[in-house]
Amino acid sequence: MKALLLPFLVAPLLAGSYQIENIPFPENVPPEVGAIDFAPDGTFFAVLRRGDVFRAIPQEEASDWEWELFATGFHNGCGIDALSRDKIRVTQMAEFTEATDTDQDGAADQYRVFASGWGLSGNYHETNTITNDGQGGYYIAVGTASHNGPTAEHTLGEYSKIGRRGRNFSAVKWKGCTLHCDAKGNLTPFCFGFRMHNGIHRDSVGNLWGGDNQGDWRATTPFFHLKKGSFYGHPSSLVWDERWPKGRDPLDTYRRDLATYNSHRTWPAVQIPHAEMNRSAGEPYEIPKNFPHFPGQMLLPDNNGNRITRIMLEEVNGVYQGACTHFIDSKELRSGNHRIRFSPDGQQIYIGQTGRGWGKEAEGLQRITPKKKDEPFDITALKITSNGFEITFTKELARMLKKEDLSFQSFTYQSRWTYGSEQEDKRKNGVRGVEKTGDRTYRVSLEDFHPGRVYQLDVDEKVKSKEWKPIQNSLFYYTANEVPEG
Amino acid sequence: MRTFLILLLSISAGFGELLTFDTTPFGSKESPLILRTFVPDPGLDPGVFANHGKAARSPKYNPAEGDDAEGEYEMMKVIPAAIAVNHGPSLSYVWDTTECRLLYAWQGGFLDLFPYWGDEGKGGRRAFDYSARLVGSLFYLAKPAARPKPKFLGYTLSKEGVPTFQFKLGEAEYGQTIEPVNRGYSFKIATSRGGRSDSTTYTGKLISRHQGFDRDLKIKKATTKAGQEVFKAYGCVACHSVDGSKGHGPSLAGLFGSKRPILEGDPVLADEAYLKESLSKPGAKTAEGFPPGYMPPYKFNEMEGASLILYLKSLSK
Repeated sequence: MKALLLPFLVAPLLAGSYQIENIPFPENVPPEVGAIDFAPDGTFFAVLRRGDVFRAIPQEEASDWEWELFATGFHNGCGIDALSRDKIRVTQMAEFTEATDTDQDGAADQYRVFASGWGLSGNYHETNTITNDGQGGYYIAVGTASHNGPTAEHTLGEYSKIGRRGRNFSAVKWKGCTLHCDAKGNLTPFCFGFRMHNGIHRDSVGNLWGGDNQGDWRATTPFFHLKKGSFYGHPSSLVWDERWPKGRDPLDTYRRDLATYNSHRTWPAVQIPHAEMNRSAGEPYEIPKNFPHFPGQMLLPDNNGNRITRIMLEEVNGVYQGACTHFIDSKELRSGNHRIRFSPDGQQIYIGQTGRGWGKEAEGLQRITPKKKDEPFDITALKITSNGFEITFTKELARMLKKEDLSFQSFTYQSRWTYGSEQEDKRKNGVRGVEKTGDRTYRVSLEDFHPGRVYQLDVDEKVKSKEWKPIQNSLFYYTANEVPEG
Repeated sequence: MRTFLILLLSISAGFGELLTFDTTPFGSKESPLILRTFVPDPGLDPGVFANHGKAARSPKYNPAEGDDAEGEYEMMKVIPAAIAVNHGPSLSYVWDTTECRLLYAWQGGFLDLFPYWGDEGKGGRRAFDYSARLVGSLFYLAKPAARPKPKFLGYTLSKEGVPTFQFKLGEAEYGQTIEPVNRGYSFKIATSRGGRSDSTTYTGKLISRHQGFDRDLKIKKATTKAGQEVFKAYGCVACHSVDGSKGHGPSLAGLFGSKRPILEGDPVLADEAYLKESLSKPGAKTAEGFPPGYMPPYKFNEMEGASLILYLKSLSK
């Protein structure tokens, strides 16, 4: 009896709305996917960690894919731009390389340094990835090294003894920075303060986004709006910021003075509770306009969980902030999710996975297809007001939303040297009132509502759509850095 | 190792051979394999690294205190940005993109990447000792030389896939091609500049023999101390702390003998059977608060396994 009941008791999350298929690589090839991209002609490319780059014309049947080896010899390539069927650019450990098939025989024969200048200490953790800058150039996310690995005696580039300290470190140039790379390959530091932003993305209006991994100086998984010159909270990379006093240890400076630390850093636009939502952010990606569900919102793969997070952003008092919930939370999805592309027609999602060689279970390529065009019953917008939130559902509700249907609480996070931080200063926020302001929209006013907190919303299972469907997601978090004037 | 090599040679490695779970990949005389990875420094004169940064020993970090710990980190003897090339048994060499020159050459094998790539069945790579290892007989080592500032530009492949490296020394642009010849401990090196090309054949002498990575930790008797070595070698600490501090995976401090909340059902006692199962079948029970399917299964030999269990038990004392 117990076993029979179980399927009804388990929340209806969350592969339900999506078909998830495995796209296999050739037999015996370790499917450690560093990066994926579509060329303008629709050819799909995948860079694998050991050095091979495969290409294929996507097929409807996963088993029909015919992979060709296009290029090889890359050291842990984690960023790719497929310029055409015959030309790709890949960020590998030591440099940004352009590989071209000049004689059209199906394999690259020319490997040219497109850009170089960041260092390489010999530490296994120092991977890089890219997004386009919209003008023929790129932004490059350069990851830090880990104290769980060594450095070489002789490094690529200048070595900083101060930068070497701490848990995740920046012993050589630009580790933990985001660089701008112009169309000619010239590099300049763009912003600082990352631990491991394993994925950056420039959205359709030109905003630059990056995540990071919960860890040292990362209370929880952050999602940042990247702006020139800003400092995003992980101190080690500051040794490469010209504005930082020469010879001063940034870790030591901020470890002892969190108030100064908090005033110097740019806070995350969204703080994503790591156990509940996303342990390690992969590459963010904007959902294209023609994808049937949640167009314009942002997806953020979890590199350490069977999940993809959905992010709803808005601009408040001139800065971006917003809410997060699950897009997919299902064991049908592997756990090493970190690269994401939509098919050229915008109807399918490809997700590249790796635990960077640590775990086979987490590696591969999957394809996600909505089962129906119709959006699942969910919250599609969570916007802040002067005294609470405005909630928009994807469907009309079966009945008027009641106070008891919603439960709010809030908390804060303080990043520090520890590996993650607890949720602090937890408070219940009573619901003062609920008002219907549109067919699918409700305004909720809350008690004790202040900026600088993360608000958690739990939606009761009694909330049903007009078609009597249960809500797909019942857990949401909104990062209220700013509260608009009433 | 030798039998293994002969076996490999009988399979012709043509152009377009894929990199697989095999941690000793191989090219062929006609169609070389090009691999960028952390290659070992087999004892080069430090003067060869004139254009590299110079690292220093650094105080160890204590993740539970967030501060320096006793001792210093050793540096690893690897070359960070070099390219390794293998023409089958006749020639392997390392060409460095920072110094823009041939650093060393060997024959009779290529690289053993087990410590960096890990093994399909056995699990993770080594944590601090992940340098690829040479297989074969080293016969050439570069010597320090006064040269203008180098700048790597890239390389082109011939129809057969033989690379010609392009680089600048000062303002002058060069191309360099290295190929095997039918003679022991030898290679042909051709350097071109502005349409002129010089080609010479180098013949050296045996410098040292290399047999890849020694996977055996040589544990004669299962002890807690040996278990700590296994823990270190397999890089367990990258996810699991032993002092209660947080990481990708649960801390192992106090684990043995505790009641363990798991995702799959009621809490279980973390006894020896649980520890063994968690190593060989980590997906069977997932510690609450951590993702299922993330830890790979590990296979240890008897002494390694028994030592590791002793070490894990010792973390509860």
